[in-house]
Amino acid sequence: MAKTVTWEVALEIARRDLLDLWRSKMLLFFFILFPLLLMGMFGYIYPPTPQSNPNTGSIGTAFPNLPVSLVQMDDGPAASSVAAQFIQVSEQQTFFTVSQSASYEAARNLLVQGHLKGIVIIPEGFSDSLEAGQPATVQVTVDETNPTIASVVQSEISAVFNIIGSNISDQNIHSMDPGGAVNPAFIIQPISVTQIPLISGVTSSFEFLAPGFMALTVITGSLQGVATAISREKEQGTMDGLLASPIPHLSIILGKVTAQTVRGLIQGFLILGLSIILFGVRIYGSPIIMLIVMVLGTASFVGVGIIMTAVAPDQETAQMMTMLLQFPMMFVSGVLFPIDQMPTWLQLVGRAMPLYYAADALRKVIILNANLTTIMPDVLVLVVYTFVTMTIAIPLFDRAMRR
Amino acid sequence: MTMQESVTVSSSPNQAIETQGLTKRFNNFTAVDGVDLSVQRGEIYGFLGPNGAGKTTAIRMLCTLLLPTSGSAKVDGFDVVQQANEVRKRIGLVSEKLIMYPRLTALENLMFFGRLYGIERNALWKKSEELLEMVKLTPFKDKLVGGFSSGMRQRVNVIRAILHDPDILFLDEPTTALDPQSTRFVRDLVKNLRQGGHTIVLTTHIMEEADELSDRVCIIDHGRIMAIDTPQAFKDKYNTESLLEVFLELTGRELRDSANERISMRAPMGRM
Repeated sequence: MAKTVTWEVALEIARRDLLDLWRSKMLLFFFILFPLLLMGMFGYIYPPTPQSNPNTGSIGTAFPNLPVSLVQMDDGPAASSVAAQFIQVSEQQTFFTVSQSASYEAARNLLVQGHLKGIVIIPEGFSDSLEAGQPATVQVTVDETNPTIASVVQSEISAVFNIIGSNISDQNIHSMDPGGAVNPAFIIQPISVTQIPLISGVTSSFEFLAPGFMALTVITGSLQGVATAISREKEQGTMDGLLASPIPHLSIILGKVTAQTVRGLIQGFLILGLSIILFGVRIYGSPIIMLIVMVLGTASFVGVGIIMTAVAPDQETAQMMTMLLQFPMMFVSGVLFPIDQMPTWLQLVGRAMPLYYAADALRKVIILNANLTTIMPDVLVLVVYTFVTMTIAIPLFDRAMRR
Repeated sequence: MTMQESVTVSSSPNQAIETQGLTKRFNNFTAVDGVDLSVQRGEIYGFLGPNGAGKTTAIRMLCTLLLPTSGSAKVDGFDVVQQANEVRKRIGLVSEKLIMYPRLTALENLMFFGRLYGIERNALWKKSEELLEMVKLTPFKDKLVGGFSSGMRQRVNVIRAILHDPDILFLDEPTTALDPQSTRFVRDLVKNLRQGGHTIVLTTHIMEEADELSDRVCIIDHGRIMAIDTPQAFKDKYNTESLLEVFLELTGRELRDSANERISMRAPMGRM
């Protein structure tokens, strides 16, 4: 009996909170814009996975036609041949647009000014080495001020010289073994690797990020939403009206949490919808399990929002406190950056956040079509989190409100 | 909590409110200091005092919004700490800040708060319409309260507090910042409520209001009761025609400027 009353009142409170959002058109506008903007931004920031094309023999690149310069300091025929091949292969693979520079200094100046991403130097004596049957070396400088681009340029230059090298080896083998009894590939590259994709079809790296963003938006949104909603009512004076009426305080909490969960889910599904439309993200798992995970994700952290409100003297402080929690959580929970690249202590911090488990579970459900059994460890952590934070939050709220 | 509530029944039915040594301390500031009050059923009890005297703190304790540091208080025979929920069923509150959601209409506000008291929907709707008619706001019942003038807001706010027919009504400065017409209207409303048998605890800084409405007046300062009497007896005793003179005699003429460590978020009424 008492349970139904608690829920009945909670639903009235939730309904009112949502009506409030609906009635403030400006807030509603930003409420919808925010996840769309966030998703659109991240969707374009993260580069698509390079697509190889067997027909043209291209390897594929996420950053096509980066400007690099070639400095040829050796006039020998071998050097000229390698330079010509470098230009041809680079452009065929759409890796680079290649310009030529007279000296390393001139090229370096251009790089410093931001016109080049890399410099390839064919040093003096290059032709002599090759003609003498010795391995020769090219030198490379990359724009190290941008680590991502630097590593792409580095690896693509290596790839180009692999192709050129293979061609040279091919000729060498032919000249040593004119009969052609041996497949040159056996000598150049005896073992080759091909990849079986985790999910079939064309994928973009964003497909793996979308679920994390969903979890991030839902959890941080509800964390901040609850803190704001409660402290605003406290400041506005309407909380007195709720507290002076004969309803269980649990109803107030449940009502606020329900409203915020609904808001979070709306934003979460907006994000999902946009990623499907704009970025071709596909859903492989069950929407019901997705819903369960998102509701649990919200519930697990909303208690923290209530605890903060109970402690904070006003709305602004409550907001600052939730921000302080939100930002580190965004970065260390494995949504934006892989957690494995972090030092152990930071990984532990990340693993202490419910977002880590919600994002993990959602990723597995959406992309890998995981069932409840597979994500049970994540779900259990979220349930425990919910239980613990709520156990602390409810009596604290009670006391804080009547301080 | 519920167990204890159902056991004890009102011990002294003639006393609407009874406190003993009621005290509230915030850190080392004593806002209410050992107050013994006794409010009779059906009277309008004027609760007067300069700023910072402890009026609002005392009322918040009686409304179960604040826990007393020590002492005890019974409202309608129920203990404000042990039987808070029984107290809540029997009181209505008009506090300094409006208890109204600006983005709900007048009727929606009444329906929302009424539901908190478990009033059945149809009965609640009828009652809300009736009360809106009483305060002459029927034409505005479907307009958002945020767009109302202070006077209109306060009229809705007052009927919100009496939707569930509370035995005891707490009015904390109900006419502050109202225009003369609304002030008159609210005062007449308070008188009518008294006729209807409600007990009313009223705080105000307007001495003529206290004089006009109160059956008895309690003057409080520095958290302590200075004197309790009927307005007429006060005026006779101090040989003056105005309650303001009595008030100043009792509480002194110096200005009460003080700054508290605890920031109070009290906004002027009407700001939403």
